[in-house]
Amino acid sequence: MASISTKIGSFSLENPVILASGILDETSGSILRALKSGAGAAVTKSIGTDERKGYQTPVISEIGTGLLNAVGLSNPGVDNFVEEYRNFPEKKKTIVSIFGGKVEEFVSLAKKVERIGFDKVELNLSCPHVKGVGSEVGQDLGMVEEIISEIRGKTNLQIWAKLTPNVTDLISLAKASEKADAYVLINTLRATGVEIYSRKFVLSNTVGGYSGPGIKPVALRAVYDVYKETGKDIIGVGGIASWQDAIEFFLLGAKAIQVGTAILYEDYPIFNKINSGIRDYLDKEGFSKLDDIVGVMVVDATFKNH
Amino acid sequence: MQHSRIIELNKENKDVFTLKFDSSMAASPGQFIMIWAPGGKEIPMSLSNTSYPPTITFRTFGETTKTIAKLKVGDRFFYRGPYGNSYPVPTGRVAYVAGGTGLASVNAMVLKYGGDVYVGARTKEDLFLLRNDFKIATDDGSAGFKGTVIDLFLPHVNDYDYIFVCGPEPMVKTMLDRIDRKIKAKVYISLERLMKCGVGICDSCSINGVRVCKDGTVFSMEEVLSLSEFGVYKRNEAGKIEFFVNGKR
Ligand SMILES: Cc1cc2nc3c(=O)[nH]c(=O)nc-3n(C[C@H](O)[C@H](O)[C@H](O)COP(=O)(O)OP(=O)(O)OC[C@H]3O[C@@H](n4cnc5c(N)ncnc54)[C@H](O)[C@@H]3O)c2cc1C
Ligand SMILES: Cc1cc2nc3c(=O)[nH]c(=O)nc-3n(C[C@H](O)[C@H](O)[C@H](O)COP(=O)(O)O)c2cc1C
Ligand code: FES
Repeated sequence: MASISTKIGSFSLENPVILASGILDETSGSILRALKSGAGAAVTKSIGTDERKGYQTPVISEIGTGLLNAVGLSNPGVDNFVEEYRNFPEKKKTIVSIFGGKVEEFVSLAKKVERIGFDKVELNLSCPHVKGVGSEVGQDLGMVEEIISEIRGKTNLQIWAKLTPNVTDLISLAKASEKADAYVLINTLRATGVEIYSRKFVLSNTVGGYSGPGIKPVALRAVYDVYKETGKDIIGVGGIASWQDAIEFFLLGAKAIQVGTAILYEDYPIFNKINSGIRDYLDKEGFSKLDDIVGVMVVDATFKNH
Repeated sequence: MQHSRIIELNKENKDVFTLKFDSSMAASPGQFIMIWAPGGKEIPMSLSNTSYPPTITFRTFGETTKTIAKLKVGDRFFYRGPYGNSYPVPTGRVAYVAGGTGLASVNAMVLKYGGDVYVGARTKEDLFLLRNDFKIATDDGSAGFKGTVIDLFLPHVNDYDYIFVCGPEPMVKTMLDRIDRKIKAKVYISLERLMKCGVGICDSCSINGVRVCKDGTVFSMEEVLSLSEFGVYKRNEAGKIEFFVNGKR
């Protein structure tokens, strides 16, 4: 049977299917459930310095091609997070997503989670609907570079940079994040939705992020572009709902993938389903390991990292 | 988002209303909908009748419920759902134990399958949806038994084959702490937690990794007993842990 293990930086995963930040990963119990259900790793909901209630409901709206959300980075704040996760048994399989408005904030968050034994952070440089953080920070190339090199200098954490697709020049952004161990591509697309009988916006915040099947082509393009330019480790995310979707991402250079919105359609069994589909595909197509298909469609990749 | 016309809006008591809407949704007792006051919030609400035309019964706690209570017959009523699982179909002798607005949820069962209903409220003025044969407990003794609905019900627990419970978490916790866990009756409990999405993706309603909105809201007593967080702490909108007043760490 083909091997579906993979490696992101120095992190070895039994399988390449990771729970995306913000979907069923605020509470420690739910993260454990995702891991027990077959996720190779899980990213927490983004954690900031202070407790945040997030936006008032409605915070989600289902549309034909996916989901609109403006949860608004609700989180208990890093100190409460640390309290809850101090004795969490799966710290090595869990990546803590952090967000902030300043370089020092990111560094302080990173240090706090490292102190209780986590060894990986995902930088949310990409949430499209909260002022002063997320993609507003993530579009400031100088700041992105500084956040990453400061965390690199002051901690031993592995760093995943989750980038916003809501820019015209993704490559420059990727280059500014070069010191990260891996890129996570993509976060949601800035979007809105309308309810025509009340003539109101469907999200209380008016603007939110678009995820799910409809954004997969955009995510694939982002992975392709960035892999071609950098050859670095990439975790593909955006609209993945089946093993076929996952394979598309691997062929364009992703070494792992994340699943978020599709849990709405398939629930927890989705992790095992995608994993066995990938294994089957590799077997039937005559590959012995996942790595054999990573990036094979990107002929002009500047680097070949395997 | 769906919408239906309001057929009826009745005031049950000083602050509880029943709203009947013109929808042919296929729903089962125990399920809930997310109701929306356009321009305002979206909140979870049990269906208090799941046959046509469906109803919700709600207390005007705050912003949204007050806005909905002011709607008129013929107005549009916005919602999505139904969501969640439902109560199992009972056989034999059936009892319902409801605290506060928990009666709304079990009411859909009572209408469909009948049985003995035990209701608890703070005072006589807080009671609603009453029928003559309901067994009543009030905290102040202004109607029926003086005390909690748990005190009223537990002496009769062995008379039943199925017991359905819905009420505030501390009430359910008290019942679980005191009930004989080896009773012959099958006990099912509908839980309530803060809900933002209602469809199982935001994690705001989770108890030990179990989502009240999607894995529930109805759980067997054994399932609830296996949740170490139940009755001990809940979470606020930020996901921060907040201990119940009597919650033991
Ligand atoms: C699955 C489910 C089913 C529900 N079914 C029903 C139902 O059938 N009938 C019904 O009346 N309610 C029901 N509720 C509770 C209902 O959703 C809340 O009462 C509602 O969210 C209040 O919204 P609001 O905007 O009117 O009040 P808000 O403006 O949100 O709240 C006003 C004040 O009341 C407090 N408050 C709000 N809700 C509660 C509560 N439940 N208990 C105590 N204090 C509260 C708030 O903390 C705040 O201080 C259900 C909840 C869930 C999770
Ligand atoms: C409800 C919801 C909440 C999210 N919250 C976060 C978050 O806190 N931090 C973050 O980096 N991304 C967040 N995201 C983005 C996802 O992690 C993911 O990048 C995006 O949804 C695309 O993947 P998908 O189509 O598989 O959902 C959220 C997405 C959704 C749908
Ligand atoms: S309310 Fe979102 S998961 Fe239950």
